[in-house]
Amino acid sequence: MLPFMTLLSEHHEIGLVVAVVLGFGFGFTLERAGFGRADKLAAQFYLHDMTVFKVMFTAIITAMLGLMGAAGFGLVNLAEISQSAVSYTYLWPHLVGGLLLGVGFIVSGYCPGTSLVATASGNVDGLFTFVGVIAGSLVYGELQPMLASFHDSGELGHLFLYDLLGVSPQALAVGVAAAAIAMFFGAEKVEQIFTRRRTGAPAPAAPRRPRRLAFGALGAMMALALITVAIPGTTGAGEARQAGTISQADLARRVLDEPWRVRVLDLRTRAACAKQRVPGAECAPAASLDKLGLRYATGARDLVLVGERTLTRAPAAALAYPGQVKILAGGFAGWRTYALQAPALPPAGASLAAREEYKFRAGLNAAMTGRKPLPPPPASKGYTPKPRKKKGGGCS
Amino acid sequence: MSMNATAETGGPTVKADRFWNPYVAGFALGLVLLATFLVMGKGLGASGGANRLGVHALSAVAPAHVAANEYMASMSSAGHALDHWIVFMLVGVLLGGLVAAYTAGRFGRKVIRGPQVPVKWRLFFALFGGAIMGVAARIARGCTSGQALSGGALLSVGSFVFMFAVFGGAYALAYHLRKEWN
Repeated sequence: MLPFMTLLSEHHEIGLVVAVVLGFGFGFTLERAGFGRADKLAAQFYLHDMTVFKVMFTAIITAMLGLMGAAGFGLVNLAEISQSAVSYTYLWPHLVGGLLLGVGFIVSGYCPGTSLVATASGNVDGLFTFVGVIAGSLVYGELQPMLASFHDSGELGHLFLYDLLGVSPQALAVGVAAAAIAMFFGAEKVEQIFTRRRTGAPAPAAPRRPRRLAFGALGAMMALALITVAIPGTTGAGEARQAGTISQADLARRVLDEPWRVRVLDLRTRAACAKQRVPGAECAPAASLDKLGLRYATGARDLVLVGERTLTRAPAAALAYPGQVKILAGGFAGWRTYALQAPALPPAGASLAAREEYKFRAGLNAAMTGRKPLPPPPASKGYTPKPRKKKGGGCS
Repeated sequence: MSMNATAETGGPTVKADRFWNPYVAGFALGLVLLATFLVMGKGLGASGGANRLGVHALSAVAPAHVAANEYMASMSSAGHALDHWIVFMLVGVLLGGLVAAYTAGRFGRKVIRGPQVPVKWRLFFALFGGAIMGVAARIARGCTSGQALSGGALLSVGSFVFMFAVFGGAYALAYHLRKEWN
């Protein structure tokens, strides 16, 4: 649906180049903010220099207002991007991981991203921190099988604050931005107090103009986001939320691997649904949706809506569901082609990804129809199924 | 020269320490994050790439060991462990940091540390703290970049829990480590 969806799957190489370009911007701005220096970062926790807080929250509210505003005007699908870009909420791992990361932050003086920027600036301590991060990841990788139940504890799916509070994303974004700007003024007061306590002299006054410019730009973004809340017809006002989409492959995986995490509603006519449907789907013609009481369900499972073709919009009764709502891309017609017809054999010497894709679809087809799949053709000469051995070099 | 002097004495800021206004830097960083959301449908990340580098290095030494561990094997099941956008983003971060530091006259081999800490101890703390963060980032499925910054901008509940926990953990320990930094 959106260009990025194809960027990471179909145009994998272009996606990697784009990642380098965006990473460049990330590293460049972090360095210019002063985040390549451990003393500047650690100062946040001694309260005389709150740059970390200011930069981080300005970045958060800028991206948030931009994204929510664009979604409010209907330019992008917020649910789709949000579900692709952030992990599920796992309450306990997020709490414990956060506390530990805070401890590592004050001990090393960096966070994982800034340690790399420090390395790039020639700081040996940054390099040691980054090597430590790699080592720590491996330690957790070794321990993970023992901690698996903790790793998945407190799972709440994709949960966002606006869903929790029952307000529109745009309205909450404006509220959060206003609170952040108020806290920036508070942070500057705290900085003055602790700088005076530390050095005996007041902090030198920072020039006002850059701050005024940045706050002005943020104010304009807040105004635009507010417009989408105020004007009926934009998503900010009308529906508090939009439905995301789910691909046939994702739905197939979930229906087979973890059916307890999806609730599939087939909105076609009862006769069509009774004849053939996605496994586990409830036949719920659009007119009967109100009777299901989706508004009062727990929202623990993701709701998937199936039409004959891709639904252009989700019915209001379905959008009232407290959990995530997704529309099956291609509808049942697409599902029929994807899951109920035997997939075409990949050509000899096809890429690993194409062969995996074939195996999955053949397995799915076999599970749905009971037909035995043909084995894929043999790999071409010179094809090595295992990853090649690294020939020296590396990243850092 | 002047940078080394600053790092060693923790003395007054010199010209090379002039940074962008924090709100301007934050706004620029926010635009980079917004572009990442819109173009890639992903957020910014760092620890995930570090993890993949580690898994790749380990699987070069002990491939059977990695294959036996479901969690680590999942990193390389879809092809090569390094064939992933988050690893390429790290390359970009490294280049961006290098260009920014060089053009600002801040590039040079040095050890940033508090005035009372010997270099040896500083490097030990850096490595040890980094290892704690490596564990933490895998527990939380992301670090300050992927969870706090990117997830925070999406108003994810887990990311906000994570973010407050990071500040809580660091503030709780800051007093006990004041000799390291002041």
